[in-house]
Amino acid sequence: MLSQAVIERVLERALSGGADFAEIFAENQYYSNIQLNDSRIKQAVVGRDYGGGVRVFYGHSAIYAYTNELTEAALLAAANAVSKAASGEGTSIIALERRQVESLHPMMTPADKVAKEQKVEVMRKLDRLARAAGQRIVQVDVAMVERMQHVMIANSEGLWVEDDRTYTRISCASIAEKDGEKQTGRVSPGAHAGFEFIEGLDLEYLANESARTALTMIDAGYAPSGKFPVIIDNAFGGVVFHEACGHALETTSVAKGASVFADKLGQQIAPSVVTAIDDGTMNGMWGSENIDDEGMPAQRTVLIENGILKSFMVDKLGGRKTGYSPTGSGRRQGYKYAPTSRMRNTYIDRGEHSLDQLIASVDYGLYAKQMGGGSVMPGTGNFNFSVLEGYMIRGGKIAEPVRGATLIGNGPESLTKISMVADNLAFAEGMCGSVSGSVPTCVGQPAIKVDEIVVGGRKE
Amino acid sequence: MFNNIIDKLLKLGAQQADDIEVLIVGENSFSVRVHDQQIEAFNYSDSKGLGIRVLIDGQVGVSYTEDFNESALQMVVREAVANARINEQAEKVVLANYPEVDAKLELFNESLEKVPVEDKVALIKDIDRIARKLDKRIINVPYCMYGDGKSIVHIANSKGLNKQERTNSTYSFLSPLAQSGEEKRAAHAFALTRDFSKLNAEELAREAVKNTVELLGGQKFDAGMYPVVFNGETMASMLSTFSGLFSARQVHEGRSLLAGKLGQSIASDHVTLLDDALHPTGFSSRYFDSEGYPSQSTLVVDAGKLKTYLHNTVTAAKDGVHSTGNGTRGYKGDLRITPSNFYLKPGVATRGELFSAQPRLIEIVALSGLHSGANAVSGDFSLSGEGFLWENGERKHSLQMFTVSGNILDMLHDVQAVADDFQFQMNTFGAASTLVGGLSFSG
Repeated sequence: MLSQAVIERVLERALSGGADFAEIFAENQYYSNIQLNDSRIKQAVVGRDYGGGVRVFYGHSAIYAYTNELTEAALLAAANAVSKAASGEGTSIIALERRQVESLHPMMTPADKVAKEQKVEVMRKLDRLARAAGQRIVQVDVAMVERMQHVMIANSEGLWVEDDRTYTRISCASIAEKDGEKQTGRVSPGAHAGFEFIEGLDLEYLANESARTALTMIDAGYAPSGKFPVIIDNAFGGVVFHEACGHALETTSVAKGASVFADKLGQQIAPSVVTAIDDGTMNGMWGSENIDDEGMPAQRTVLIENGILKSFMVDKLGGRKTGYSPTGSGRRQGYKYAPTSRMRNTYIDRGEHSLDQLIASVDYGLYAKQMGGGSVMPGTGNFNFSVLEGYMIRGGKIAEPVRGATLIGNGPESLTKISMVADNLAFAEGMCGSVSGSVPTCVGQPAIKVDEIVVGGRKE
Repeated sequence: MFNNIIDKLLKLGAQQADDIEVLIVGENSFSVRVHDQQIEAFNYSDSKGLGIRVLIDGQVGVSYTEDFNESALQMVVREAVANARINEQAEKVVLANYPEVDAKLELFNESLEKVPVEDKVALIKDIDRIARKLDKRIINVPYCMYGDGKSIVHIANSKGLNKQERTNSTYSFLSPLAQSGEEKRAAHAFALTRDFSKLNAEELAREAVKNTVELLGGQKFDAGMYPVVFNGETMASMLSTFSGLFSARQVHEGRSLLAGKLGQSIASDHVTLLDDALHPTGFSSRYFDSEGYPSQSTLVVDAGKLKTYLHNTVTAAKDGVHSTGNGTRGYKGDLRITPSNFYLKPGVATRGELFSAQPRLIEIVALSGLHSGANAVSGDFSLSGEGFLWENGERKHSLQMFTVSGNILDMLHDVQAVADDFQFQMNTFGAASTLVGGLSFSG
C-alpha cells in the first residue's frame, strides 16, 4: 500500500520527538450492507473506507493520529503531530523486513464478485421462510453485511506486513404480534470467509429458529423475580462470560487496576469445572484472525484452566504496562481507532454433563435458552443481561416459557457459582464494542449451571 | 472547501442517474485520556468522507468513499447506480432545493480552535488530581477524558441545493471508583460546551466524586412496586432509548407502539416532549438536516397528547404532512429519522417538592443495560439501576444495585410531576427529575 521509503520516513518523523516505538496502520476496505424489510430491499450501501494512522509510545503513553489521505505529506503531518505530544528517551528504527502472512482462513468468493441479485435472492428466501413459520409473524428484517479489509502494518521494530480479512454475515429478525404486543427472535450467523459461507447456510433452519423465539415468547407470561439457580444454554449464552469476565481479562482493564482479576494470576478464580479459552486461530470463525492489528500472528490463549487464571489477553501497550507478553489480542475496528487488547473467539470449554442432567438437577429455577445482550459496570464487575427466550424449571423439567427476565449479578462472584458444565459447546457471532471500536468476536459455551443468580422479572 | 469534488460528482450523476445528492463531512477531533496523572491515550484526527444518493426511476441508491481520488469518485457513482437498481422502496424519494431557515445559531466558537493543547492536557490532569484527593474512598479514576472536535457538513444536489455549516464543541468526562470495605461503586460527571473557559476542573471533579461516594453504603431492600424519581440524566436515557417510538418510519414499518395514536393521550398531562433543532443551548442544533431541509422546533407531545411523529421528507410525503427536519444520515448511510435536541419540557416543581410528593420513593441516578434490557418494539424494559431510598422528602440511604422494570407507555401515563432542574445530556436528550407513580423493583 505504501512504499518502504515512505514508511521509513514516516516512522522516523514519528520518533523524532523522543518516542520509543512508532507504528503505521493503513487500511483500504470494501463494505457492503443490504437490508430487506417489509419483504422489500429498502437499503443497499456500498462504500470504501480508506485511511491510515500513526501511533507512538512514550513509555506507557500512547499517542495516535489518523487521516484519510494515504499520501506521504498527510502521513508525515500525522507523524509530526504525534512526535510533538510528549518527550522521551527515543529509539531508532530496526530495518524493515517484509514478512508474508500465512492465511489461516482462505476466502473463496469475494463479496464484490457476486451479483447483487444473487445476494438479494438469498435474503428474499429467508424472508419467505420466516413468514411461513407462523401466522403471527408480522415483520421480518434481513440484513447482509460484507467487509473485505486490506491492511498494512509496519513499525519501528522492523515489522512490515499486509493482510486481508473477509467478514460475511447475514441476520434475520422475526417479529411476532399478538393483541398489540410484539416479540422479536433473531439469528445472525457470520464467518471470517467470503460469500461461500452464505451459500453453505441452511436457510430453512435459520428462518425457523428466528421465528420460533418470537412465536414462543409472544405467548409467554412474565418471569418472576428472585434469586434462584439458572441454566444458561450454549452459544450466545457465552455473552455473559464475555461481558462479565472476558473484558476484565483484557490488559486494557487489568493495567489500570480496574479489573477484579488484576492480581489473581495463578489463583483459583472459578470452580475446577471451568476452563475458558480465547482463540484467534479457529478456522474461518467470525472472531478469527491471521494476524492481529499490531501484526502479531494469531494465537490460542487459555485464560482459565480448571478454574485457575492462566493468562490475560495482552496487546503491545498492555504488555508494556503489565509485563506480560502480547497474545495477538491487539485489535481495532479500523484506522480511526488505536488498537487495544480485545477478545477473539472466547468460550467456556465443554464439560462432562448433558444439558438434560443440568436441567434435572434444578428443582425450581430459570432455563435461559437464548440470551439477549447485556452490560457490565467496569471496575465493579456488576452485570445485567436480558434473557431473550426463557423457561421456568420445575421439578427438574423445563416448564412454561417466561419473558422479560434479566440476570443481575457480579461477574467474578457468579463465576464461582458455576457448578455444572454441559457438553454441548457451540458459538455465536457478535460485534463487540470497546475503546478500539466495534470488532467481530464469537462468544461460546456449553450449557452451564449457575447455582444462584438474581433474576429481575416483572411478576409480583 | 469541497466545491470542486461536488461539481465532479454532480456531473457524473447527471450522466448516469435522474438526480444526485452529495453529502460531504469533514471532521477534526482531539482527545486525551489520563490515568493517575499519566497520559494514557492522546488522539488526533483529520478525516473526511463523502456519501451520495442517486435517484433512478424514483429508487434511491447509496454509496460512500473516504478516498477522494478520481477513480473512487467514479466508483461511488457506479455503485450507487447499481444499488438503486436493486432497491424496491415503496416510498417515493424526492430531492429539492429547500429554503434557508430564519434563525441565528451559535454553532461554532472561534476561540475554541485557539486553545493550546497544553491547556487541554493541564485541565484533564487537574480533574484527575482533584478527584483523587477530594475523598480518600476514591481508590481509582479509571476514566478521565477531555475531547474536542469540529465538523463541516456540506450538502448539494442536482436541484440546486448547496448548503454548508460548521460546528464545534468540547467536553470533559470522568468516572471515579470508590471503595468502602468490600463495596465498590462507580459514577461519573461530564461537562459539554463550546466555550473552553467554561470547563471547571474543580467543579467537575467535585460533582463526580460526590456522585460516586454517595452511592457507598448501598443497602438491600424489599422487591416490589415503588414510586420513582428518575434524575435528569436517567430520564433522558429513557427518552433516548425509546425515541424510536416517535419516528414515522418506525410507525410505517409496524414497529412503533404509537401507530394510530396521533391526537390521542399517550402520557399524563405532565408530559410535554419537544424536538428542537434550533434550541439555543442544544448540541444537536443545526440550520438544516441531512436532506438540506430547514430546522424547526417540533411539539411532539403536548400535555400528554401525541401531536406528530418525527419525519423526513419521505415519510412526510406518505402521511401527507411536512417534514419535521429530522432526516438524518452520515455519509456512510441511507436517510433515517433521528431526533435532534429531544427533551421533556421542565415543570414548575422544585426538587424538594418532587421528593416530598410521596412518603417513600426510590431515586434512580444510574441505569445500565439500556441497549439490551429495553425492548424498543414492545416498550418493555428491565434495567439495572443504582439509586437511593427517600422517605418523607429526605434521602435515607443508597441502595444496592437493583433492577427496575416496566413498560415505557405505562410509565409515561404514570408521570406525576416534572421538576425544574433541566439539563441537556451528552446524548443531546434532555429532561429534569421526573416522578413516576410506580415501577417494579427487585434487588
